[in-house]
Amino acid sequence: MKNFELARPTTLNQAVMALAEGEGAIGGGKGPAALLAGGQDLLTELKEHLAEPDTVIDLGRVPGLDAIERDGAGNLTIGAMVRLHQLEEHGAIREQMPVLAQAATSIASPQIRSVGTVGGNLNQRPRCWYYRNEASVCLKKGGLACLAAVGRNKYNAILGGGPSYIVHPSDLAPALIALDAEVTLVGPEGERRMPLADFYLLPREGGISTETVRRPGEVLTKVHVPAPAAGTRSTYLKFKERESYDWALSSVALVLGMDGARVNRARIVLGGVAPKPWRVESAERLLEDNEIDPRTVAQVREAALFGAQPLAENGYKVPLTKGLITRALESLA
Amino acid sequence: MSPTPKWKPRGEMTLLNTGYARLDGPDKVTGRAVYSHDVRLPRQVYARLVLHSYPRAELTSLDLEPARRIPGVVLVEAQKAAGDELVYLGDDSIVAYVAAETPEAAKDAARAVRAAFRDHYPPMVTREQSLSPGAPSITGRGNTSGARDRGDEAAVDSALEGAAVVVEQVYELPIQHHVCLETHGHVVDYDGESATCYASTQAVSGSVDEFARNLGLPADKVRVLTPVMGGGFGAKFGIGLEGAICCLIAKKLLRPVHLMLDRPQEFQMAGNRSGTWVRMRGGIDAQGRLVGQFAEVDRLGGTGGGAFPLMPYIYACETNAARTRSVHTALDSNRAMRAPGHPQASFAQESFLDELAYAAGLDPVEVRKVNVESDVYRRHLDVVADAIGWDAHPNRTAPGEAGADGWAEGIGFGLATWRAGGRPGCEVEVRITPDGAVTSSCAVQDLGTGSRTLVAAIIAEELGLPLSAVTARIGDSDLPPSVGSGGSVTTGALAPALKVAAHRAREALEQRLVPVLGAEVGDYEWVRGRVRVAGEGDMTMSFGEVCALLGNQPLSVRGEYDGSLDADGSLHGAQAARVRVDTLTGRVEVLDMVATHDQGIPLNRLALTSQINGGMIQALSYGLLEERVLDAEMGWLLSDNLESYKIAGPKEMPRLRVILDEDDGRNLATGMAEAPVIPGHSAIANAIFNACGARLRSLPFTPDRVLAALAERA
Repeated sequence: MKNFELARPTTLNQAVMALAEGEGAIGGGKGPAALLAGGQDLLTELKEHLAEPDTVIDLGRVPGLDAIERDGAGNLTIGAMVRLHQLEEHGAIREQMPVLAQAATSIASPQIRSVGTVGGNLNQRPRCWYYRNEASVCLKKGGLACLAAVGRNKYNAILGGGPSYIVHPSDLAPALIALDAEVTLVGPEGERRMPLADFYLLPREGGISTETVRRPGEVLTKVHVPAPAAGTRSTYLKFKERESYDWALSSVALVLGMDGARVNRARIVLGGVAPKPWRVESAERLLEDNEIDPRTVAQVREAALFGAQPLAENGYKVPLTKGLITRALESLA
Repeated sequence: MSPTPKWKPRGEMTLLNTGYARLDGPDKVTGRAVYSHDVRLPRQVYARLVLHSYPRAELTSLDLEPARRIPGVVLVEAQKAAGDELVYLGDDSIVAYVAAETPEAAKDAARAVRAAFRDHYPPMVTREQSLSPGAPSITGRGNTSGARDRGDEAAVDSALEGAAVVVEQVYELPIQHHVCLETHGHVVDYDGESATCYASTQAVSGSVDEFARNLGLPADKVRVLTPVMGGGFGAKFGIGLEGAICCLIAKKLLRPVHLMLDRPQEFQMAGNRSGTWVRMRGGIDAQGRLVGQFAEVDRLGGTGGGAFPLMPYIYACETNAARTRSVHTALDSNRAMRAPGHPQASFAQESFLDELAYAAGLDPVEVRKVNVESDVYRRHLDVVADAIGWDAHPNRTAPGEAGADGWAEGIGFGLATWRAGGRPGCEVEVRITPDGAVTSSCAVQDLGTGSRTLVAAIIAEELGLPLSAVTARIGDSDLPPSVGSGGSVTTGALAPALKVAAHRAREALEQRLVPVLGAEVGDYEWVRGRVRVAGEGDMTMSFGEVCALLGNQPLSVRGEYDGSLDADGSLHGAQAARVRVDTLTGRVEVLDMVATHDQGIPLNRLALTSQINGGMIQALSYGLLEERVLDAEMGWLLSDNLESYKIAGPKEMPRLRVILDEDDGRNLATGMAEAPVIPGHSAIANAIFNACGARLRSLPFTPDRVLAALAERA
């Protein structure tokens, strides 16, 4: 990796200013900067020279980012530096938001979950082998075309693709979006809060060199998860080609508000199939005011994959994802 | 004195034929063991190869100066010159090499080398590209070689007229990597007159000449050390181009040179198991007997020939024919890999026979029994069928259906074969000092299989000592020579030499006892650290007291291979797998694998079980996950690390059961390296079909293939 200067700010403001300088949001003439949280994605980017920052800004000494706070109503605020294993082990999350606990548990290995963070997971870069291969100049790295579109694309997008066909690798993002989570971003011009669903960008919406709407200098500091209503059930089903340690070929985050056997509120967000977490509102509407019977399940899974446009080698993701949706619905029925 | 010792009956053994932990286990799991990779010598430099990332490219210019300017760089040299063609993706991709004071500087320097290329598309990395009309010749010698016709295809077709069912299908296997946890490489410490080479090698004794040649030294000035090594599986016999370059740098710098490949380089240039394309045509009669079989085999070994054994594989079929050839691609040559060619042949043959059995509505176990010549196989099939629960399984002659929950469960089988025993080439020295210290020495390498432990155990058994009382010295070419570890020969070659040396050491000690205890040589019993005259009551002397009789002169004896102590002929084996398949998602879970193999004397039941478990695990990984992926347009190796080249992990592990063959009457030594890796993936494929009717004709059995096969059935 390229040599870099390690900055160790002790306040959020210092971190934001250092990042803003490195990302050109404010003057100062410093070269590119990168944020270091758990380092599990950044280190792989540094080692492959996909990222070559002059400054690495370690968030480890910035106070206030590493806690999970729960207010009287049961709403959660999760700091960006919270480790993935903390989500797995958190009592309220396990009890009231199994979708989030299961998503956390599905990530990588225990070693990585012990250092990987919530903020890092939500901001990680794609795993597409053309992107990760230093020799290839793919669209996301300034090339002219998405090499996966016509190359080896078994792991690429079937929904929302074009001109890039990456899939977003985060497992937390589909789960959190299904929980209607919001995120706080702090930048040189202040703080803003938005639904996590709005944080991600499709390639055709401008998400080529980035996957998010994060502006230069902005740090994702917190995730806000509203308390689920009484009667909410949820699950995260992830299909890993290698169960021991893998990204999702496809995943389903499912959150259902139930009134007896009847669904009164549904969130279905797919992972591993699109360049961003893929919420399928048309499928959600089919569930609402219905019971989870075979006919509804069949309609929901068809609606969820409506418009899928597989590439040469990833057509299997369509039946696979339908199967996962079926399994997820069955498990909550 | 008896010139040729014999192994004790198994029932009388106190250490051998039991299970005991390997001597170097604690060092390995705590990180104390120093692998070649870990060697750090004073003044050592770190070398690194500069590899280009696609084949069939002409080097138009090479600029080493930017690399030379990196701080800490000691040496930058060209391996290729402008105008050279990089013919294949592999060691031919090495354009330059560097050496530096730190690994980081070496990596930076390697990246700083500027090379420009003219491309020769297409890259020719697939069988289809190589065989397409008008395809350019990769090496200038044509894209196929070694074509051979055996048998009469027309006679097979005539025989098939009388068959009850006939099947014709194509089976395909991708290239597999060895995935040695320790990548290839060496540390060469050369001072101008002699050299010590810390080699990650499967042949300590056999590497000396190659290092000597590359260093320009006589062989007696070269010492090769491999006290521990992180796996070879057949890929680490020669020192490789990386070894030759390591020697070149060492000669130039007169400093110790550390040159190990990293994982992407390992996957690009350190060999592989050849891929295979097989078309099978044949049929069985109403009783399940093969009446004719034709196999058309393309071995896909890159620029190498690939490996594939004779067909029919294991099963007998009088009227058979085969057409085989190598189809070359612009990829690195295959190398030996644990049972070269056999897992490929197993998959084609076992899948094909299974297809015939179900097509005829017959029990695939019975069809196997009908078509094997050896009763050992029939016995082994009964053992694994019983253990896996075949008789109670509901669908034995037709595939099952998924239940209401979408899951289906099935069972499948496969057989294994290998040659038994070792070969000449090992010598062992046993040295006993008057204070009772016992050392057993042989240059032999331990690839992770447990040979170090065996070097101590056979001596301990002979002298009635605990394992901990014998020191094993191995992995040093200055010790008595050893065979290389390939073809399962190590145990069969080493154990006889150990036995002969142990026997001579015991007799030499007994000679000292004659004047003391009065009995003749051969009439003593050595048990639990004491010796007594055979059959005469209480133990009379401790081992230490016996050794004190040596006075001030240590005892040193040597033993060599003796062909009466190792098995010959064949090894057999059968494996069964139970899987469940989620027909909604294509998920395959292997629940249970059972193996039985004949093994002669179980010299160490724990090591033996571990070897067979390892074989099943490697085959499971091959079947479920492993696939080398290349971009056929660009020639890039996309699966160039352990993220994208997936090997099985803990959650893929089924229940693994090894049933040692207690009925194998051969009281002789043999190894157990290759046989257990041969049939596991075939058994899994057959179990998937048995479960749900999805026939997987290509590896690995990932959901894309499983869902496609399910769609084909429906």
